Amino acid sequence: MPPETRFADAISVENLSKTYKVAEREGGFAAAVRSFVRRRYREVHAVQQVNFSIAQGEIVGFLGPNGAGKTTTLKMLSGLLHPSAGQAKVLGFTPWELKSEYLQVMTLVMGQRNRLSWDIPAADSFLLNQAIYRISDEEYRQTFKELDELLELSPLMKKPVRNLSLGERMKCELAAGLLHRPKVLFLDEPTIGLDITAQARIRNFLLEYNRRTGATILLTSHYMADVTALCERILMIHHGQLKYDGGIRNLSNKIAPYKLIGVALGEARECDLSCYGPLVQTDHSNGKQYIQVKADEVNAVTALILQDLPVRDLTIEDPPIENVIERAFQE
Amino acid sequence: MLHIYRRLWQVNWAEQWQYRANLLMYLLYWLVSPVVYLAVWTTIANAKGSVNGLTANDFITYYMALLIVDQLTSDITIHVLAYKIQDGTLSGELLKPIHPILTNTLVNNLAFKALTFMVLIPIWLVLYLLFHPDYSMVTLSSILTAIPAIALGFGINFLLGAALTCLAFWTTRVYSLSEFYFALASLFSGQFVPLQLMPPAIQRIADFLPFKFYIYFPVQIILGRVPPEKLVENFALGMAWLAVAYVLFRWIWREGLKRFSAVGA
Repeated sequence: MPPETRFADAISVENLSKTYKVAEREGGFAAAVRSFVRRRYREVHAVQQVNFSIAQGEIVGFLGPNGAGKTTTLKMLSGLLHPSAGQAKVLGFTPWELKSEYLQVMTLVMGQRNRLSWDIPAADSFLLNQAIYRISDEEYRQTFKELDELLELSPLMKKPVRNLSLGERMKCELAAGLLHRPKVLFLDEPTIGLDITAQARIRNFLLEYNRRTGATILLTSHYMADVTALCERILMIHHGQLKYDGGIRNLSNKIAPYKLIGVALGEARECDLSCYGPLVQTDHSNGKQYIQVKADEVNAVTALILQDLPVRDLTIEDPPIENVIERAFQE
Repeated sequence: MLHIYRRLWQVNWAEQWQYRANLLMYLLYWLVSPVVYLAVWTTIANAKGSVNGLTANDFITYYMALLIVDQLTSDITIHVLAYKIQDGTLSGELLKPIHPILTNTLVNNLAFKALTFMVLIPIWLVLYLLFHPDYSMVTLSSILTAIPAIALGFGINFLLGAALTCLAFWTTRVYSLSEFYFALASLFSGQFVPLQLMPPAIQRIADFLPFKFYIYFPVQIILGRVPPEKLVENFALGMAWLAVAYVLFRWIWREGLKRFSAVGA
């Protein structure tokens, strides 16, 4: 019996921790000599006692500032790193044992790293993957056709990878990581450096892949658009500790229960809006000023503004998720 | 599995082909020392009639055979793997369901050999015309016996090289270690001097070490200088070293992976 049938959760993590021992020294020659004789080490607690579980078929966003421990966690879950303490099971496997049955059903795609060989066309790397993952010709044709429909790969396959643009290369990297139809996808910044159109395309592709195959996806991204478009649920990590685990909508309610009212006044008149609520930003392109108002006071405040001022345009918006998250990390 | 090796061969061959100029420079660099030893020893033997019973032709045939054997048993693992451990690019290969060293790195070695061999052959023929070695003692059976000996030599060299390279999991100074290893190997493999010219004490040490399988043992087989009873004994010793090298490599690899920090990614 394959191990995964015994687990309802695709991923479960218990008290997972990773501590790096980092040699450190001051700059300069004397310090270099001292550190040669006796090295000083500092312990960096990259991930501390993290617990969560993810059901099969879920798409979960993994958020946190740089250095929060996201990538370290992904590396442990994919099997690249041994944890310092704690347990993790992915589809019933302990990732860092690197069992080939496990590697056969998961993938890790990192936006900042190249897996494809630069010197040869992507087509050759794809065929190598076909052999390594023991994909039958029939299955390969079928999978490639699907990937090609979604990502328009065909025109890219014959060029050496070094001659592809960043966006083209990322498409190939993603496709190469998915040829074996993994059931679990770890994606680290899959859209980094891509333009808006390419980002959207990758996003749609991931949604479609998830819909078609029921794969579980855990992704990190600095582009909130990725997260809002793909994930119902987010995990937030900061200083190696899990700070939030839940729905993306609840996050604003929980951490930032306020709305932004944007007001543009007629005849570009300058006017102090701060008496209605704290001024948070001004958009000079349309002359709009934004004030922050508690969610339950929005109706009253809006009515007041419309009554008091010569309003040309007024909008009520959710605070941008970036701000919500920034706020969460400040607390 | 055979299919995987075939695809790996195609990819590695294509990659190596991209770096053929690089490879030519490497080959020329590598050729310098054996050709110098060849020239020096031949000159000395010519001047003195013989050196400890070895004639000029003995040196020429020895070094000309060495050129081929050394190339076939050589191992480039340190150059293709150490940096991957240090900069974290090994990650991509680690997450594939095949052992990266026993597949990709191995095939990479073989593709490199195949390409360098294509260049080595014409150079060898030129040297042949220059030095006129008398190879009348070489027989078909000595060549056929040398083939498994060369395979054995490469196997040991590859696994020990891989084990050494895996020390990169602990230290960033693995290249200095490998320099030391190469120096030892050159001394005890018969690269500087045919081992029978070494002081008896060193010969006895060399006889137990794995390095003679890289050069001296296969070359002596080609030249028909290994008596049958020594042949069996040495093959047995070689197999033992192969096993030791394999166990050592697997152990260092397993322990190293626990320390792997997958830098960058």
